[in-house]
Amino acid sequence: MVNLDKLLGSTDAINGLLARYGVKFGIYKNGEFKEQLFPYDPIPRIIEKEEFAYLERGLKQRVTALNLFLKDVYNKKQIIADGVVPADFVYAASGYLAPCEGIVPPKEVYSHVSGIDLVLGKDGVWYILEDNLRVPSGASYPTIARDLERRCSPRTFHETPIEDNRNYPQLLKHVCDYVNTGGISVVLTPGRYNAAYFEHSYLAERMGVPLVSSSDLEVEGDYLYFTGYAGRKERVGAVYRRISDEYMDPLTFNPESLIGIPHIFDVYRKGNIALLNTPGNGIADDKGIYYFVPKMIKYYLDEEPILCNAPTYLPFYEEDRKYVLDRFDTLVIKDVAEAGGYGVVFGSKLSAEQKEQLVGMILAEPRRFIAQEVIDFCDIPILEGDGQVERKADLRAFVLSGEETVVWKSGLTRFSRNPDSFIVNSSQGGGFKDTWVLSQ
Amino acid sequence: MGIKSVMNTDRLYWLGRYSERVYTTLNLFSRSFDALIEQYGGDHRKFCASLEIPDVYPDKDAFIDNYAFSLDDPNSIVSNLYRAYDNAIELREEIGSETLSFIQMAIYEMNNAKKSDAPLLHFQKITDAILAFWGCVDDQIDDENTRNIIKIGKRIERIDLYARLRKDRTAIKRDVNRLAGRISRTDLIYSQEGLQKLKDLTDAPELDYPEIIHVVESLVEC
Repeated sequence: MVNLDKLLGSTDAINGLLARYGVKFGIYKNGEFKEQLFPYDPIPRIIEKEEFAYLERGLKQRVTALNLFLKDVYNKKQIIADGVVPADFVYAASGYLAPCEGIVPPKEVYSHVSGIDLVLGKDGVWYILEDNLRVPSGASYPTIARDLERRCSPRTFHETPIEDNRNYPQLLKHVCDYVNTGGISVVLTPGRYNAAYFEHSYLAERMGVPLVSSSDLEVEGDYLYFTGYAGRKERVGAVYRRISDEYMDPLTFNPESLIGIPHIFDVYRKGNIALLNTPGNGIADDKGIYYFVPKMIKYYLDEEPILCNAPTYLPFYEEDRKYVLDRFDTLVIKDVAEAGGYGVVFGSKLSAEQKEQLVGMILAEPRRFIAQEVIDFCDIPILEGDGQVERKADLRAFVLSGEETVVWKSGLTRFSRNPDSFIVNSSQGGGFKDTWVLSQ
Repeated sequence: MGIKSVMNTDRLYWLGRYSERVYTTLNLFSRSFDALIEQYGGDHRKFCASLEIPDVYPDKDAFIDNYAFSLDDPNSIVSNLYRAYDNAIELREEIGSETLSFIQMAIYEMNNAKKSDAPLLHFQKITDAILAFWGCVDDQIDDENTRNIIKIGKRIERIDLYARLRKDRTAIKRDVNRLAGRISRTDLIYSQEGLQKLKDLTDAPELDYPEIIHVVESLVEC
């Protein structure tokens, strides 16, 4: 049993340090950008060593299959030809990017950083809620929180065998170095007014690499260069980019992007730059494709999936559609085009009129929606006032793929501060906790 | 010396300038504040004239509130502190979280000062934070170019302010010498002619303050 008394007694000190170091995230409200501290709760999520070993096996398996899927779907398309994943689900998905066809990234790694969201059901089973293979964020928060927890409550860490999670930036740097095609590695940020800017700058600092914006980079010939003061230049071999695919290169994707780098995609296509994560990954973390991930594991690895999906139905299939309409009030409906906790509705909470409207949309565009059983997931304690209350929480596990696939021995535990809500996203008022993985 | 982006070079330079501007004007304001709290004492117009800032304050109470705390006043101390912060926040990977944290703490303390009946107590903490920030620049930033760009900004701002405040030769010459000894140890593009002229100006029998301001302001391409 872990004794948290000393740590909890240090809550004010930890919060003071989080404020001192500017551990914030940005949100836009009514068109105005506001920075605010990311609410922190000192009661950690604690995962036993054996339990984490199980998660580790399952996460590695899943991410390995997803990487294989990405290689296949942009090249041979065997999984489509074999009828495991319908072509409709690939080519109609917003995450599928035709310009990525035929490209194999350096060292054949597509998803270098995978953020896999899980919840622990009351039945004791971990369920995967979604895969994030584009620009998953959040690892910096438990990393810096741990540093401050250790500073404020050293005895807690002396008395408790906890895996040190502060190596995340080094793990990420190691992945960058592995796929680097020659030159320096950089972190590319859309800028200070991005919600996760703290993370971009903190990771760059801890990785010991430049934090750059698009104006610092330029393509010359077949290579990408970091251009400095007084006209100095240095070749770039790996870009850990925190910019969405569509904004990366205005000449390939969104022509109105002002935060992209013209021709960077050409450099990537020629194999002269590693982009972390690889453009086009959105096809594999599409909410519709999620349904097929267990099938991918069997298809590519010939293994049974270790971790479960939440039971999911695709209205695209007639049988599932009938089930969804029959059991509508017991399901959660997700719009596959939305993210960040948006586009998620509980059938039971809709008025008759809203329900009729949504059903109409499902019938008109069945590919656009998935439906899932509502997982009755475990509440976890958070501090509120002088006491503790139970709230919904998920776990974002980070899997890094380079020379080998590594699961970071921690994770971002996000919780809802609203007792009636399942939505844990920071953009909707959620907070975060550290995640402790016991080492003994 | 690693490559530094144009933007970060600019930010480092201005971080040095704004941190110095806050430090010097805060100390000046704190000293004036003592006279201004007397019902009939102090004259804020003299303060504005000495810094060559427009006197847009209808009375001294408005001056105390706005010059220290108004974000709508571009000359206010808080505005300058936020400009320092705006530069620092985009330099975390260059200066480090520890160094940045002192600017962040100065911001929190300024917010506390605004709500306080005794702002000088908080101003002292802001001064402490800026001194600690400069100490941290020296102690924690490994890259000499990075350190020196911040310090060049700081020196240029100080010479500029001291010239506006009509400080004596010794004070200005000391900072010109410090500037001259350091500027060549950065990769900043600067005017060697301008630097020589600045030295000459501080050696001239009469100090030409407007010219010193003009030369120091145009010394560096940032």
